[in-house]
Amino acid sequence: MKQSKVIVSLWLLVIFVFVGPSIGKAADVLHMYTALDPNEAKVYIEAFMKDTKINVEWVRMSAGEVLTRLKAESKNPQVSVWYGGPSAEFIAGRKEGLLIPYKSPVGAPFLKGNLKDSEDYWTGFYFGAIGFGNNTNFFEKNKLAYPTSWQDLLKPEFKANISIAYPYTSGTSFTTLATLVQLMGEDKAFDYWKKLDSNIHHYNTSGSACVTQAGLGEIAIGIAFSHDILAKGTSKGYPIKGTFPSEGTGFEIGALALVKGGPEPELGKKFIDWSLSKRAQDLMQVWFRIPLNPQAEVAAGATKASDVKLINYDDEWAGNNNKRLIEKWRQIIGK
Amino acid sequence: MTKTKRFVAYLKRIPSDIKKLLREPFLLIGIILVNLFLFLFIVLPLFKIFQLSFEDKGQFSLAIFSELLSKKYNVQPLIHSLTLGIAVSILGTLIGFIFAYAITRVDIPWKRFFNIMATFPIIAPPFMMSLSAILLFGKQGFVSKLILRDIIQFKIYGFYGLLVVETLTYFSTAYLTLYGVLQAIDPALEDAALDLGASKGKVFRSITLPLATPAIASAILLVFSQSLADFGNPMILAGNYTILATQAYLTIVGMFNMKGGAALAILLLIPSLIAFCLQKYWVSRKSYVTVTGKPSAARIKMDRPLTKYSIFGLCLLLTGIIFLFYGMILFGSFVKLWGANHTLTMDNYKHVFTVGWEFIKDTLLLSSVATPIAGILAMIIAFLVVRKSFPGKRLMELVSLLTFAVPGTVVGIGYILAFNQPPLVLTGTAAIIILVFIFRDIAVGVQTGIAELQQIDPSIEEASTDLGADSSITFRRITLPMITPAFYSGLAFTFVKCMTAISAVIFVVSGRWNLITIAILGSVENSDLSQAAAFSIVIIVFILLALWLIQFLVNQIGRGRKLKFEKAEALQSI
Repeated sequence: MKQSKVIVSLWLLVIFVFVGPSIGKAADVLHMYTALDPNEAKVYIEAFMKDTKINVEWVRMSAGEVLTRLKAESKNPQVSVWYGGPSAEFIAGRKEGLLIPYKSPVGAPFLKGNLKDSEDYWTGFYFGAIGFGNNTNFFEKNKLAYPTSWQDLLKPEFKANISIAYPYTSGTSFTTLATLVQLMGEDKAFDYWKKLDSNIHHYNTSGSACVTQAGLGEIAIGIAFSHDILAKGTSKGYPIKGTFPSEGTGFEIGALALVKGGPEPELGKKFIDWSLSKRAQDLMQVWFRIPLNPQAEVAAGATKASDVKLINYDDEWAGNNNKRLIEKWRQIIGK
Repeated sequence: MTKTKRFVAYLKRIPSDIKKLLREPFLLIGIILVNLFLFLFIVLPLFKIFQLSFEDKGQFSLAIFSELLSKKYNVQPLIHSLTLGIAVSILGTLIGFIFAYAITRVDIPWKRFFNIMATFPIIAPPFMMSLSAILLFGKQGFVSKLILRDIIQFKIYGFYGLLVVETLTYFSTAYLTLYGVLQAIDPALEDAALDLGASKGKVFRSITLPLATPAIASAILLVFSQSLADFGNPMILAGNYTILATQAYLTIVGMFNMKGGAALAILLLIPSLIAFCLQKYWVSRKSYVTVTGKPSAARIKMDRPLTKYSIFGLCLLLTGIIFLFYGMILFGSFVKLWGANHTLTMDNYKHVFTVGWEFIKDTLLLSSVATPIAGILAMIIAFLVVRKSFPGKRLMELVSLLTFAVPGTVVGIGYILAFNQPPLVLTGTAAIIILVFIFRDIAVGVQTGIAELQQIDPSIEEASTDLGADSSITFRRITLPMITPAFYSGLAFTFVKCMTAISAVIFVVSGRWNLITIAILGSVENSDLSQAAAFSIVIIVFILLALWLIQFLVNQIGRGRKLKFEKAEALQSI
């Protein structure tokens, strides 16, 4: 029995030493949720910590999860910054009253028009367009032409060979849905997706997962953002070639924002300022994101806005119609 | 006795029960504390979910359900989940029984090895089996590409893929339950039947099987609930075969529709509760007290060559399949880029120990705090349920087993709803993760404890009470040592579950406290298969180390106590 008492007290000691101090929260730490890839987020956040000597504690979640989480925590917000995700998600967040405005002096010279919220509730920091990540082996082996339009995706030879995420979990897929609606009109867009559905092998939760799946040959075509196609496909060594629809494609303005009632608003503002600086925007070359700061370097081979035909994508409309479009999509597609 | 008569008898018993309790303040305080914890950390979060789904503008309303059930995309997952749950529980229990029976009753070689292999899948990190299924049978898979050269195209996304990976993951639960009980069944009964001229088949059918029935029922119940609540595998492999647990998650996470997600989860609760009640009613009619407290060594062996070798072959085949799945993960974790560049590299592990180090540290710390608390609490609950009589006992049992049936996602959301506002503000702390760990999987410990205790004749404890010991002394000195095997498996289960938890904790992790499984989810969501494989291997290694440590510590405490039922062997050997 003596020994058991020793072990129990040792155990209690360990708990006390490790857990005790952290029950309360440290003061000069910035807390954030990020929707960026964890490997990528780590690069930026560590650079920020090095530059500013501010510590950051962060959790990675998909943009939809961040939104749900912020809603659930709204009475006792745990983080100060929401870092990354398409602007439409932030517009939905603003509608829920989860954000507070901040106009960054660093971004003021170049953040114009749709690159930020009209009242500065969210701030854009990169650009990316929707495209197709194609497995080159599949196309060579079957002697097929790469898809270069939305209509191409309906071809019977792609049956059960295309993948995309659920529009209700992924910003990528919702952007695609909103793009199609804005491009074709609502009824035709849903007719189109109904036909597309028979070519879809399966839906993912994460928008960029289909790129790797295409790389692995599980599917032939993944519909995703241009930077994900490059960062997760081509540049990693997968046999992936990106193409873009000739009818025009949608895009995202990747954003970040201050959370209403967050514990460290001042540190959060510093983070937003830093994210817009040339130094931070240069770093995004590792992920082929297109920086919004005109002085920042663009990665070689990255897809710029001028490289593809863009539609006049209305993210404000997309954010405001998010719930309705998704509900309709689920009714019609049944997934 | 009719039901009403029994109910009247129960009511009549209440005053005497209360009187008995008042005479034992320790027991009374214990019961009150346990119930308080169960209420706060299981009932309250669930209540919040119920409140959310049934309340409409301050009034009780069923509108959410008629809305849910009117939609095809909600009805289909319900049917899918039930079909899958039934298929997995039957197949999983069958395989678990084959292993347990082979090891306890059949004269085959390599028992230790089979025992290890049958318990091994318990420690499978979430997503791991599905990941392995893709590495093996996907289009670039080891089996489909290199061995079969694309002759057969496997359809791993959907029902069959899920059936295989869930069966391979959850049959271990059935095995552990059945192994403990088959081991504990007194062989004297079987010997007696043999002596009286029964054939070995007859002994199996009329002695072994009926005695094992409660355990089989428990096993089916456990596997069914696990399959229903499984989140990791359907996340990856469901394809277009939508499953209720992930659908509830997607509804909450993707649609920002907590109300709809909560209601889906309540739909998911109903079949689990039905299974639970069925099992209780069925089991309670069988008497299975076979352990008298005296150890018995002799054990009959099935030694007819045909039976022996066919069972041996089956075990070998199943073991081979498990080997293949785990081996693939190990191999995959060293591959540079699966499907494109198969050179071997340590890069994935470098990533795990640099980017992932914080995750590993937190996971280990939080798990080792939660494990002993959960283990002891589970044994106390099991003891109270089986041995004591007090008002509200059935309810307490139901509540403690309830967590098993609720999808983790909903527990997570429930915790956020319940503990993000005064009086109990816990979000962002280590405490909330530890609490999820403890109460999320307490059912397993309680279930094992109950199964074990029901096998032990209460007269041993009665003797202790007759000699003047009170409930707490009897529990500590008599009951606890006798259910040490169950306590071990409770500890080990909890630790493993903590290390591999995902669906509930994903909602309560914070920047300060993070978990390996969240890192795996990140890797999997981004389809970094090799990285996820490396994380999975690291989890497995740490679990093995910790299990060894638990065993070592407990041996120290017990001064090398020899375990009567040898059940802990299962855990010793993993």
